[in-house]
Amino acid sequence: MSKIHDAIVELRHAAGVRGAAVITSDGLVAAASLSSGLDGDVISGLASYLMMTTNRSLTEGDYGTCTKLLLNATHGKAVFVQLDDSYLVVLFDQFADISQADREVDEAVSRIRRASRLA
Amino acid sequence: MHLIQRMKIWKELRRLEQRAKEQPSPSTYVDLGQVYINLDLHDKAESMAVDGLALFPKSIELRQLLDCARRGLRARRATELRAKLTRSPNPKLFRELALLQIELGDSNALHATCQEWSLRFPDDPGSWLVLGQARLTSFYRDLAAREGQEAVDCLERAVEMDPNEVQSRRLLSEVLYRVGAVQAAQKHIEALRSLDPADQEVEALLSYVATLPDHGGDVGSLFEEVESHGSLKHPSMQAAEQAPSAERSMSSVRDGLTHVSQLPGVRKATFIRGSKAMVKGAIKDGRDPFLRIVRVTAKAAHRFARRLDIGNASKTVVEGDFGKICICVFGEALAGAQVTAEADVDQVLGDLQEIVAGALHAGDEQP
Repeated sequence: MSKIHDAIVELRHAAGVRGAAVITSDGLVAAASLSSGLDGDVISGLASYLMMTTNRSLTEGDYGTCTKLLLNATHGKAVFVQLDDSYLVVLFDQFADISQADREVDEAVSRIRRASRLA
Repeated sequence: MHLIQRMKIWKELRRLEQRAKEQPSPSTYVDLGQVYINLDLHDKAESMAVDGLALFPKSIELRQLLDCARRGLRARRATELRAKLTRSPNPKLFRELALLQIELGDSNALHATCQEWSLRFPDDPGSWLVLGQARLTSFYRDLAAREGQEAVDCLERAVEMDPNEVQSRRLLSEVLYRVGAVQAAQKHIEALRSLDPADQEVEALLSYVATLPDHGGDVGSLFEEVESHGSLKHPSMQAAEQAPSAERSMSSVRDGLTHVSQLPGVRKATFIRGSKAMVKGAIKDGRDPFLRIVRVTAKAAHRFARRLDIGNASKTVVEGDFGKICICVFGEALAGAQVTAEADVDQVLGDLQEIVAGALHAGDEQP
């Protein structure tokens, strides 16, 4: 578990990242590293809603499930990556270049997957 | 204010100023602006809101802060003007005060100012013009017959006092033709033309009004009809000119969607507004699940961003075994495309953004 947390904390230090969290498919926060002003419970609730809604519409249309979702908003950005029974949520500030942070996100995803399998 | 209280406030101010510099966000600017307003430093609150809006131009909270700061400044200016008017009344100061009171929405104070203005300077039509403008604004907002009739009375009085006054005639002619009194409006527009025969805008207005059907000269009944129907009889010339540009806008949406659907790797593309959708590419019919996915995901992303206080979700990309679904949203319009792995996602998103931005002027025409 601490390895997952370490991966999250390291990802949190990447440029433009305001917070990162691993959220289980039933909406519980497994690990999180968030800047002040971000509430883990709020993020888990909203992220679950977004992922569940998107996945439901995809499966109903025989599109399968979502593996990754990128969201650009006026004052911030977010990336959601599907893991085994959970997903990684990374929140960026509005100036961050998500494509430049791809490497760090992918690395964190690999570390979390590895740690989950070992656990 | 107690000295210790004052020191506490300045300490808090310094802390907030530091926070605004280190962590610029709409809420930090609003917190700081609120403290300035509480200290009656509306000018500082205004500049804080302007700085914040330069960074976060779409923040509603910052716009509210700016509005609040400007209202405070106007209220202060109104107090200064009132004091000046007591010492040395003149029509220019009355006019400035009355316009400030219109901006502040203080109709009682406006009425009192105009009354005093017309008593002190009975030959100046300015008070009737300003009062007419204020009544007219209320009429266009609520379509209340009483407001409309009072606006016409005030403006007619201003025209009577100074038949060469252009603005009163313009406003009067516009409200008259918009409620259906086209012939009465034409008289005022012709008077405007005789005042300045070279004015092209007046000429265009005369031509436009000549195309409108007249509904009689009983202005009171026409205002009653407008109030009961809840709509004006004729659009303004500017609104009528915008109608063809709305058609152009929809045709540019159509062209844009065709362009996106022809990009390498794009399988299907759609533009959606309200319950209607325009589609291009491999889409069977309106029940294609792609349309529902675009709608549902855009709505969920919008709610996510709003609840998390990060503004409006403008672009979303969903990835899966099916490839990628790119979605762009602007206001009520959204455009989406399903693409394969070889597609240039940035280009697709850029073109979709152009489509939704171009649809801004598409008026109420549905795709």
